[in-house]
Amino acid sequence: MTVLEKESAIRPDALGIDGLTLGIGSGASAVPLLDGVTVRVGRGETVGLVGESGSGKSLTARAALGMFPRGARATGAVTVAGVDVLAAGRAALRDLRRTRASMIFQDPRAAINPVRRVGDYLTEGLRARGVPSREAAATALELLEQVGIRDPRGALRRHPHEFSGGMLQRVVIAGALSTEPDVLLADEPTTALDVTTQAEVIALLKEMQRTRGTGMLFVTHDLDLAAAICDRVYVMYAGRIVEEAAGTALFSAPAHPYTKALLEASPPVHGDRTEIKAIKGRPRSLAEAPSGCAFRDRCPLAGDDCAASVPATRAHGTSAVACVRPEEVAR
Amino acid sequence: MTSETPVLSVSSLVKRFGDVTAVDGVGFELMPGASLGIVGESGSGKTTTARILAGLDEPTSGTVLLAGEPVTGRSRRARLHRARLLQMIFQDPYGSFDPRQTIAESVAEPIRLHLPDLSGADRRARVAELLDQVGLSERAGGSPPRELSGGQRQRAAIARALGIRPRVLVLDEAVAALDVSIQAQILTLLDSLRRDTGIAYVFVSHDLAVVRHITDTAVVMRHGRIVERGDTETILRDPQHPYTRLLLDSIPVPGWDLDRVARDRRALDASR
Repeated sequence: MTVLEKESAIRPDALGIDGLTLGIGSGASAVPLLDGVTVRVGRGETVGLVGESGSGKSLTARAALGMFPRGARATGAVTVAGVDVLAAGRAALRDLRRTRASMIFQDPRAAINPVRRVGDYLTEGLRARGVPSREAAATALELLEQVGIRDPRGALRRHPHEFSGGMLQRVVIAGALSTEPDVLLADEPTTALDVTTQAEVIALLKEMQRTRGTGMLFVTHDLDLAAAICDRVYVMYAGRIVEEAAGTALFSAPAHPYTKALLEASPPVHGDRTEIKAIKGRPRSLAEAPSGCAFRDRCPLAGDDCAASVPATRAHGTSAVACVRPEEVAR
Repeated sequence: MTSETPVLSVSSLVKRFGDVTAVDGVGFELMPGASLGIVGESGSGKTTTARILAGLDEPTSGTVLLAGEPVTGRSRRARLHRARLLQMIFQDPYGSFDPRQTIAESVAEPIRLHLPDLSGADRRARVAELLDQVGLSERAGGSPPRELSGGQRQRAAIARALGIRPRVLVLDEAVAALDVSIQAQILTLLDSLRRDTGIAYVFVSHDLAVVRHITDTAVVMRHGRIVERGDTETILRDPQHPYTRLLLDSIPVPGWDLDRVARDRRALDASR
């Protein structure tokens, strides 16, 4: 048993989402969004949540902060560092977002007030926790140094528009980690960045997370990126988790036909030049999905039994997979 | 004879915006039916180069030859001549469709403009053929652009560009905004169109995997200059310029070595 495992055996997970079902409205006009989503992030663990448009990956990440679409009804359980998010009141949620869970988004400019200085942005979370202003300023300076901002002292006085997208995302990461949260929710944090900048920001994120022991839920459309940096990866399709596997195992042994189809649809950059195989149709949301397995109308392996009911999740190889015939999904 | 002449020939292209040189001495050739990648990140000048090819920006200096003839000037005649030979596809084609027209009407527009002698019935037949070629249903053709998904709109943009049978298609990050499964559909469509029609592509992208799939040769751009050129496969297997190496190592793969990316960055900074 590693140190990490020993620790997680005693302390609760950084994030636990258990059987989360989410929908808007009721009766005939009800729109289902998520169905029985279960995601676990251990302390210090990096967990990927991968899916295409409408898969519900962002909704799932937001649920960890108690952020639901207006009028949504949630059932199941969402726990962040032992706090019951679904039962939490307004004050408890505010406290949760301030101290235990942080989120970073694709566009750093949308996350940061353009008329306030970067120094204010970095100290406000600390000040709200009662840290004296002098101490908060020192911490902010230290954070900017850690995330590799040149001239950190000058940066504190500058406004967001004076930074490039990559540099501003570093500032946002510094802000998200300033309160030493238990879990960091990263929603496509590098999608808007250039590839070389993405690699630098990812290196930074991993290093900051490692030294602090923060659990990270990394939401992305990029299966290659998730598999490269995550300990475990969940693949989502139409509001459900269809596969859970170790990051390294996804490529060598995908267990769900959708995971395999995604891998075969992306052209490789290294190794032999292989034909890509397009997946017919388009990605669905849960509301548009067919009965039974939501992927069955696009799946090359689908049979009549796939329509009967939503496939139960079961172990196959090193994966947990929601498919009735994972043994036919060999690469 | 035409098969020996490059369909597109660009030399010593320079574009300055005030003090900033966005494109700095760019040159390349594209043979009929070939596919050339322009690879780069933001600020590399790749999009400005593409816009100059399409006549959306005027170069400060340098020449663009289409089918052996120089294209210059912004007169109606010059623009029509250029558009007849070269069409451009953008990342999100939504802005280039009239929201009040159906997709079929939008696809018919360039045909009406460039081939005014074609009868209405022939034009409609050509539009139906184009929509079928890119895999759009009759129903999608009758819809306004807002009712189409991103992938369908990109198909419609390709159909519209192909309508007047141009020799060159310039695609600027044309699959970057699409879901992986849809991106594969568009790439497969582009493959078969090139095979069937002999059209040539200039494929502008930051994505080396996609460039590897869709192009034969490529140029790598940085700060307005071409830093490496050659067969796409050779560039990817044996990159010579430190920037190309940094780009390649920045792509996430199983066992991704982020320390190596940092070493590449230092090597690149040292090479300046």
